[in-house]
Amino acid sequence: MKAGRILATAWENLTQRKLRASLTTLGVVIGITAIIGLASLGEGFRLEIRERMQQGFELDILIVIPGSFTTGLGEFTPDEISRVRSVAGAAFTTALMTLPKARLSNEDSEPVNALTVAGVNISELAQMLPERLTPIEGVMPSPEENDTVVLGYKACFLNGTTRLVNVGENVTMQIGTPPLSINRTRRVAAILGKSGTSGITNFDYWAFIPTNMTIDVMQGEEAYNIILVKVSDVEQSEQVAQNIEAVFENPYFISILVPLAFMRQVDRILNIVQIFLMAVASISLLVAGIGIMNIMSVSVMERTREIGILKAIGAKSRMVLAMFLSEAVLIGILGGLIGTLTGYGLSFALSYVLSNFIQPQQSVTFGTSDTERMSIDPVFSFEWTIIAFIFSIIVCIIFGLYPARKASKLNPVDALRYE
Amino acid sequence: METVLKIQSIKKAYRIGKILVPALRDITFEVSEGEFLTIFGPSGSGKSTLLHLIGCLDRPDAGEILIEGVNVLRLSDDRLAELRLNKIGFVFQFFNLLPKISALRNVELPLAITGMPEKESIERAKEMLALMGLETRMHHRPSEISGGEQQRVAMARALINNPKIVLADEPTGNLDTKTGWEIVQLMKKLNREKKQTFIVVTHDPHIAETADRIVYLKDGLIETIKEATRSN
Ligand SMILES: Nc1ncnc2c1ncn2[C@@H]1O[C@H](COP(=O)(O)OP(=O)(O)OP(=O)(O)O)[C@@H](O)[C@H]1O
Ligand SMILES: [Mg+2]
Repeated sequence: MKAGRILATAWENLTQRKLRASLTTLGVVIGITAIIGLASLGEGFRLEIRERMQQGFELDILIVIPGSFTTGLGEFTPDEISRVRSVAGAAFTTALMTLPKARLSNEDSEPVNALTVAGVNISELAQMLPERLTPIEGVMPSPEENDTVVLGYKACFLNGTTRLVNVGENVTMQIGTPPLSINRTRRVAAILGKSGTSGITNFDYWAFIPTNMTIDVMQGEEAYNIILVKVSDVEQSEQVAQNIEAVFENPYFISILVPLAFMRQVDRILNIVQIFLMAVASISLLVAGIGIMNIMSVSVMERTREIGILKAIGAKSRMVLAMFLSEAVLIGILGGLIGTLTGYGLSFALSYVLSNFIQPQQSVTFGTSDTERMSIDPVFSFEWTIIAFIFSIIVCIIFGLYPARKASKLNPVDALRYE
Repeated sequence: METVLKIQSIKKAYRIGKILVPALRDITFEVSEGEFLTIFGPSGSGKSTLLHLIGCLDRPDAGEILIEGVNVLRLSDDRLAELRLNKIGFVFQFFNLLPKISALRNVELPLAITGMPEKESIERAKEMLALMGLETRMHHRPSEISGGEQQRVAMARALINNPKIVLADEPTGNLDTKTGWEIVQLMKKLNREKKQTFIVVTHDPHIAETADRIVYLKDGLIETIKEATRSN
């Protein structure tokens, strides 16, 4: 029998048992809906996370520190810094000297706020991180005007609401633990805007002073302990990191944080999560497959006589097999089609609900909060649609195969005798 | 006349649980081309079993069946299906029509299995139904027509592929005497006109008498084979 004729016959057989066929198809529809819905929402979720991470991270900036991130020992010599500056792929480099355990006070107050005082070339740093180092009050000092302080957004507060100092006023920095601490009183040149809570470093609690003032505090020691390297091509981050390592005689002496590698890792994790979700969704398709097997076995039993007649008048086993498999395939195609549509429908509906009715908790840090709405845009993928569709058909064939084979193997005489 | 069918000492037993029930014990006979043969015998004598074996619906335990000189027992299941499709037409006691499709579709089915284009096969099925006097019934389903009409549809289906041998298992068993007789006359007519070989199982002695030869079967053995007593 011609393939088209077999398909037409299969379709007729399905439509003769409408309720049964629709319920079986419904199982497939639910399975495909779950797979497509989770895949498209999951991909949207991944894109959203990636975008947010790109906002929080300066992806193109490598952070080089001496020792390791846990021990943090050692420092860089000016010679090493200049060698890092000339590394291939490094577009721009600046070095920092941080002095931990510093406290700030104005003329009247007790010293408050444990924070980091960093010796920097402030214009270099601002050039490297323009979005994080934007003054909201005052102006950035020029490198020559090297006797002022730039305060991070939260460093200029005494507590949550009261200002410690304003631009133009003097601030006293107590560096180190008393009695070995050193005090320096300087004029505040600028106060920075919020640099945000996410990201590699949070500059909000930092105070920036010129490098030579730091050297002075350190009694002449030039102890740079952070190098920031802006790479010219983000994708080359790992290569540039290797180039930087090669600059040092002992590569174990330094640690390099490569945000891109971190991003990739997160991406990998999201991938695994998504695969897991799809696997869970696939279970529902499996259940649908078992439903097909069940219904088709019943169908084969009911139609034993019909199969006997077909074989008696000359149908080969292969034709009977094809007839029953076609029914399974039709269910797979129909379920796959409808399931794809409802799957995308569901994911768009869900994303609408997520972005319109559910808002993230307000962040409680310092009044102004980022009340960004959650917005996950489902992603339509042609490939997944095809894959899900084929998967649906394959599942139907696999589970239809057993009953179809059973039907095709029937002996004509026994089948005709069946009541 | 040429021998179209040769049955050589075939045996067939059915297994019920642990016991073997012999249905055919040792059957040997030949059928010539164009012959009208009846198989006559009491219930349980093995008539249906024999006809199923001739029709390649089942395989014997021992013996040989030659159709046009070909030993069909050596053929694969697929080849047997082809043989059933092209060389043999089967008419069943209980019609065995597909209930959900029209008479026309039922008759057309064997042609569809051969892969004939639908237009042509429908045309031929219509002609065949017309030959059976069923022009007005072709779009009815089997349940919507009488028993005699159903048996004629079944006959049309058996004949549509122009088979060499037509096998009928008590084709009149479920019909009243008059209708049964009409069916027999129809078969006799086709046998005369188309020179097709007919083997008809019956336990109606009047019908058996119309044949060229009668095979008397009892307890799985041939009792006698009788030549026609009167010329037709
Ligand atoms: N599938 C089967 N399983 C077991 N025994 C069977 C089977 N088919 C037939 N038999 C037995 O084989 C013997 C012959 O059966 P068969 O159907 O050939 O008889 P028959 O001559 O056609 O009878 P009837 O005139 O009643 O149709 C009987 O004893 C029957 O019980
Ligand atoms: Mg019988």
